[in-house]
Amino acid sequence: MTRTLVYFPLGFIFLVLQTTLLPPMLPLHFKPDLLLILVVYLGLNEGYVRGGALSYLLGCLQDVFAAGYPGLHGLALLCTFLAVRGAAARLNTESPVLLLLLVSAGTLLQAALVLFALGFFAEAGALWMIILKGILPQLLLNLLAACLLLRAAAWLQRRFAPRSRVPGLRGVGRHYGS
Amino acid sequence: MLELLRKYRTPLLAGCLILAALLLYSAQLRQRETTNVFERTVLGLTAPVQGGMDILADGVAGVWNRFLGIFGNSPEVLRLSAENRRLRSELVQLTEVRLENERLSRLLAFREETESQAVPARVIAEDASSWFRTVLIDRGRQDGVHEGMPVVVAEGVVGRVIKSAASESKVLLATDGSSAIAGLVQRTRARGICRGQGNLLSFDFAMHWEEIEEGDLIVTSGAGGVFPKGLTVGTVSRVSPGGFGLFRSVEVTPAVDFYRLEEVLVLLKERR
Repeated sequence: MTRTLVYFPLGFIFLVLQTTLLPPMLPLHFKPDLLLILVVYLGLNEGYVRGGALSYLLGCLQDVFAAGYPGLHGLALLCTFLAVRGAAARLNTESPVLLLLLVSAGTLLQAALVLFALGFFAEAGALWMIILKGILPQLLLNLLAACLLLRAAAWLQRRFAPRSRVPGLRGVGRHYGS
Repeated sequence: MLELLRKYRTPLLAGCLILAALLLYSAQLRQRETTNVFERTVLGLTAPVQGGMDILADGVAGVWNRFLGIFGNSPEVLRLSAENRRLRSELVQLTEVRLENERLSRLLAFREETESQAVPARVIAEDASSWFRTVLIDRGRQDGVHEGMPVVVAEGVVGRVIKSAASESKVLLATDGSSAIAGLVQRTRARGICRGQGNLLSFDFAMHWEEIEEGDLIVTSGAGGVFPKGLTVGTVSRVSPGGFGLFRSVEVTPAVDFYRLEEVLVLLKERR
């Protein structure tokens, strides 16, 4: 419950950053998908029910600020969470490099899911072209954002809660924070 | 049976969750033209936060742009550039009015153009995703802004309102993949549909025998009932040869600089 209370406001802060602070600083309407990074992190560290519910809720929140298709990002983020959660059982979840790898896979999966959901259920228009043209810069931007978030999280943990154990951050200080 | 369910509990749970999300998404698509309670509540709650963050973002972006040295123009150059844009926009509108007058005079049914009622609004946030082109404005139902209303700036068409809460609305930009605006070539009156392509527009369904050249101005045709007639959409930047197809492939550069949208006008009533 405590962790849920952390994830949800964090998701909201990420959304506000994504919609207001980051767009004027980045060209061509690109912005890092911070919510996707959060959902990948949830997939590595949370259970199916709590993580799934949180991912869907965060996706629905994103839908209010993105496009005009309610439930689209809810569905995409839920599927991304389930895919990461399924893969996490077979991987070493304490490796920060894994998070970066999964963020890359998550970016591609989310783009494919958005295309599927719009192509089969709604009028996608030229969206497939927009996504295909922008997938590589988006992937690089998401990776950069994930690296920066890992560094920031490791620094915050060392600064404010040096004795606590944040899931998925073991070893991050050695790789990214120092 | 129970053992089978227990064995495949996780995949079954995941499948049920996906199916439920898919059904919810599919059901909500029918009401996508209206703003639901969840959207209204979230937009209402976040309006003050985003308004404040927008001011902060302006400051941060200013520092960032100066740091990058992208905008090294002096205030005088910026003022003259803005005036130039305004005058060009007036010229386009005057040309459109002149052509319309000629046609109507010939038909002896001249009717004077009346200006629409408009509400000025500030852009306070951009789309949360890189794939879509929407913006949030700081005006909503309490200002008379509702779904379907056209949004413009001096240079031309911006888009239309797709969601409206009490004090905040979401605008679908003309460059979004799902946006379609009925337009015509100002010089030849060739008709078509302007569809969003991300950063550019395409002018679809223009017949291959129509005369369209690079530099031609595309204006709204008024068909469809959303946008008033004669608003600038963009300029033809590339025309591919007709070939054996029925339609020509035309690329249009939007008249509006969507990267620097700050203030917009929401037209509350269509101009006749």
